[in-house]
Amino acid sequence: MTTLRAFTCDDLFRFNNINLDPLTETYGIPFYLQYLAHWPEYFIVAEAPGGELMGYSECVTPKMLMLWMFTVMGKAEGSVAREEWHGHVTALSVAPEFRRLGLAAKLMELLEEISEKKGGFFVDLFVRVSNQVAVNMYKQLGYSVYRTVLEYYSASSGEPDEDAYDMRKALSRDTEKKSVIPLPHPVRPEDIE
Amino acid sequence: ADYLDNGNNKMAIQQADKLLKKHKDLHCAKVLKAIGLQRTGKQDEAYALAQEVAALEPTDDNSLQALTILYREMHRPELVTKLYEAAVKKVPNSEEYHSHLFMAYARVGEYKKMQQAGMALYKIVPKNPYYFWSVMSLIMQSISAQDENLSKTMFLPLAERMVEKMVKEDKIEAEAEVELYYMILERLEKYKEALDVVRGKLGEKLTSELQSRENKCMAMYKKLRRWPECNALSRRLLLKNSDDWQFYITYFDSVFQLIDESWTPPAEEEHCVEGEVHCSVEQAVEFIEERITEESKSSRPLRGPYLAKLELIRRLRHRGCNDEYKLGDPEELMFQYFKKFGDKPCCFTDLKVFVDLLPPSQYTKFIHQLLEVIPLLGGAAENEVALPGDIKALQQHLCVVQLSRLLGIYHAMDKKEKLRVVRELMLRYRHGLEFGKSCLKTELQFSDYYCLLAVHLLLDLWLEGEEAAVWQCLTLLEEGLAHSPSNAQFKLLLIRIYCRLGAFEPVAELYSSLDAKHIQHDTIGYLLTRYAESLGHYAAASQSCNFALRFFHSNQKDTSEYIIQAYKYGAFEKIPEFIAFRNRLNSSLHFAQVRTERMLLDLLLEANISTSLEESIKSMSLSPEEDDIPWKDLRDNRDLTVLFNWDPKDRDISEEHRKLSLEEETLWLRIRSLTLRLVSGLPTLSHPVQPKNSEKAAENGVSSRIDTIRALLQQLEVALDSGRKFLEQKIQYPVLGPPPTRMAGFLSSGSCQCQTSLFYLVSDIYELDTNGLEDSAEIQERIGNSLKSLVERLTDLFNKCKGDLIEVRDGTLKTHPNLLENLVFFVETISIALWVSSYCDSILRPFKSNLQKKKKKKKESSVAMPPVFTHFLDYVTELQTLTSNVIDHIKGLEIILTALKLEELSLKDTLLLQEEKKFTKTVQGKVQSSYHHSVQEIGELLKKRLDTIKKLKI
Repeated sequence: MTTLRAFTCDDLFRFNNINLDPLTETYGIPFYLQYLAHWPEYFIVAEAPGGELMGYSECVTPKMLMLWMFTVMGKAEGSVAREEWHGHVTALSVAPEFRRLGLAAKLMELLEEISEKKGGFFVDLFVRVSNQVAVNMYKQLGYSVYRTVLEYYSASSGEPDEDAYDMRKALSRDTEKKSVIPLPHPVRPEDIE
Repeated sequence: ADYLDNGNNKMAIQQADKLLKKHKDLHCAKVLKAIGLQRTGKQDEAYALAQEVAALEPTDDNSLQALTILYREMHRPELVTKLYEAAVKKVPNSEEYHSHLFMAYARVGEYKKMQQAGMALYKIVPKNPYYFWSVMSLIMQSISAQDENLSKTMFLPLAERMVEKMVKEDKIEAEAEVELYYMILERLEKYKEALDVVRGKLGEKLTSELQSRENKCMAMYKKLRRWPECNALSRRLLLKNSDDWQFYITYFDSVFQLIDESWTPPAEEEHCVEGEVHCSVEQAVEFIEERITEESKSSRPLRGPYLAKLELIRRLRHRGCNDEYKLGDPEELMFQYFKKFGDKPCCFTDLKVFVDLLPPSQYTKFIHQLLEVIPLLGGAAENEVALPGDIKALQQHLCVVQLSRLLGIYHAMDKKEKLRVVRELMLRYRHGLEFGKSCLKTELQFSDYYCLLAVHLLLDLWLEGEEAAVWQCLTLLEEGLAHSPSNAQFKLLLIRIYCRLGAFEPVAELYSSLDAKHIQHDTIGYLLTRYAESLGHYAAASQSCNFALRFFHSNQKDTSEYIIQAYKYGAFEKIPEFIAFRNRLNSSLHFAQVRTERMLLDLLLEANISTSLEESIKSMSLSPEEDDIPWKDLRDNRDLTVLFNWDPKDRDISEEHRKLSLEEETLWLRIRSLTLRLVSGLPTLSHPVQPKNSEKAAENGVSSRIDTIRALLQQLEVALDSGRKFLEQKIQYPVLGPPPTRMAGFLSSGSCQCQTSLFYLVSDIYELDTNGLEDSAEIQERIGNSLKSLVERLTDLFNKCKGDLIEVRDGTLKTHPNLLENLVFFVETISIALWVSSYCDSILRPFKSNLQKKKKKKKESSVAMPPVFTHFLDYVTELQTLTSNVIDHIKGLEIILTALKLEELSLKDTLLLQEEKKFTKTVQGKVQSSYHHSVQEIGELLKKRLDTIKKLKI
């Protein structure tokens, strides 16, 4: 029960209740702007019912409860031929208070739907190896670990960099489910396309 | 070039030199060398070399690209435009250079030239994007035009005609082009036409965004006040997804609009183009009830329909209807909602919006009703607390506790009851940890809110005068953080409380563990910058200002880059948004504050200690005439609701608080900025003026400099006056609301009076300087008096610093952060006093040596020394004594702080459990150590200042 809408720059000033979570990275301005310049329609924010309807004073802006960025992409040329055209989740974070409502599941369904429409072969995402809650959730939604990307997440303050799982789910166009056959060896971040 | 990429700039310069020996006129090598020079700090040489190449108007790709990089690093993007202007003149058919030229203009916002460059490109290569770049440039001209009329009658219609031409020729290709057309029509307020575009054939291209066409249609229907269409469309969208809140709002809005207009559907044909319309309360009630019925069949429980029903009741009540439509009793509906969704963490937030529907007399009954349905175990025996058996029950119980706080039930309790609730909440908190044993370090504990709520109750008690409560707050929060090390709310609350107690040391670590960065420097950086300096943690203050400034400075460059990308990808609607975003950051209140405070801090720590005041000011390119703060457009980007609270509306942070806080911050910033500018004016006055040339010097502008100083001093007086008036209102922000500024302390400590009289002294000394020593008895006397009263005032200020920083009273610790803040003000004021004194010194010294020369010549012993010298000497001696006394006082404070044996404190409060005592000890130790740290940093700085006094003996 939310309002979904496109993310705007002004939202950057008020996403703290989502971004102070330890597993949600706050990126530099270029990251968000690049995204907005390239895929403005795929950067979505969900809001709780807010004050404007309540005759509350106007200052009660609705709580932001979720950020969601995704793309439909592949190497532009020949990607269809090489079956690389796919939907990709760049970020998905839900504010602690609004977890366990199935929001993420619903949005993943939506992305799969869009990617199907755009003729993608699979949907993929990266997740911290340590983020077991997320890994399990994606598994439940039909995703599997395709490969491990070594030291994908750079850590702050002296801790070692963390590995990522590249998790995938095949779409109907990939009839033989070739895209999700796990790779035998982990890869380095510079090797991923 | 490889060397440059690797950061080996010296080698790059050498290699470029080698190449240049062989090929004297290799442009590219020259530019590469220039880049090397720029990066090794030789900006002037780099610039000269670059201009040498640029003057030849190069047309080879390598030189052009290298120069572009160089100019960007020099922050001179306007030079890139010149470069490509020359290049396209020489190679008029180059698509590439024209396109670079367009982007160069985009970087500097030359919209008119962009429009022309876009068209020139289109003429060379008729690709659609180029044409539409030109159209977008027209929109940007209209946005930036000061004259709104010009924008509506010229730029936008021209843009419209340009697009229409393409439409007529059937040349529209991309979705972005349709978006742009829509954007133009919307800005022209041609909503009908915009609607036609979206609904027509062109609208079929709008596919990327979710429900793009529907959303745009809806926006236009609203603008056109076409309520039947609004209603029918939102109804249809709700049928598809009965959980999307925005469509319920439109649906209700439109139903009531239609009722008020007595709209009736046409008898025969369709209600409207969007289908069936609901235009009565009965239909709306039926529609919502149907949604609820549908929901009960859905596999995933949906909250929307239930909340929509409450929303409908709220709107009906607003119109004076009670229960004519049999929607049910809100109390009962909320109870049902709780039964269905109470185990979800968001249940509280959902219901919060509707508690206004409950009559206050029913609050307690309502809470009990909720409590009764939660499956709790135990509690049969007296004094035994019934506890939840699983996470769901815990979540439900937490929801009730949060609602109790929101309804003011805890606020109404007396001290004893409040303490009982605190104990119970902490028991529940610790019990709830059982359910989270398998939680990872990065996850929150299920029962964290219990702890947080207990702390909020204790904060209430503290504000009511219960001193011990604040220590318990810290104790419980530290305990909570130990179990749930990622909980940002624990950290934020600890930060606020430690700061209130005057202890900054623990704050730095807590804040850094929040891993706040980038934009968060602007939104929550105030948590640090408000307190670091004022509590004498100068190093930490410098650091936090630096982090913030680095972020703000990179913003300008970063945003330009993405404005250009938005053109490339056709994200036209984002272009004005990015520009507005850049402006919002550039005019940020916090940015202006850290800029000002950073410079004041640098002067405080360095000027006349490690470098001269004059050099420091020069290196900051400060000048008293310049004011770079956008006073009228200051934007308050602080996130003041980053800390959770569950307070009732009348105690919560209101819009009024925000407005007042911004006003206070702006007033204080004005005082600080004027102080900085006044200080920066001191060195401009002190160039010794030869008496003979005094008139000439006046013409040269020294007199205008003193005029500037005098004018600034007037402005400072006005600002201080406004500050005083503001403080007379005695505004109390909520404890977790905006922190008050340092202004109250500045005015009440007396450092304000000291600082202004110092600047008046500057004006008097200047008068003496231009007047000469003869016939200056009156000025000299005035100076003598103000020096005397300055010493008195500074002594008063010192008296306001006296007292124990931490004392033990009735077994409880009490801190006195205001003494610390006054000490910091003292150090700052003494520093200004010393800068002013060295100005005095620079004026008096030549006078004295002249007199001594005269004395020798005339060989008379009777040439009397004018009184001003004695006054000044006495003053300097007294400053020295006073400063030494303060240093001794600080030493005393250090000894007391070290000797303070907290372990021996017997906290009489039996409330504390054994395990809590451990945390209390840690907390008190942290506060003690932080005070120690403050006193040390302040003491060290003051010692350095004392050394500079010794140089002033003329």
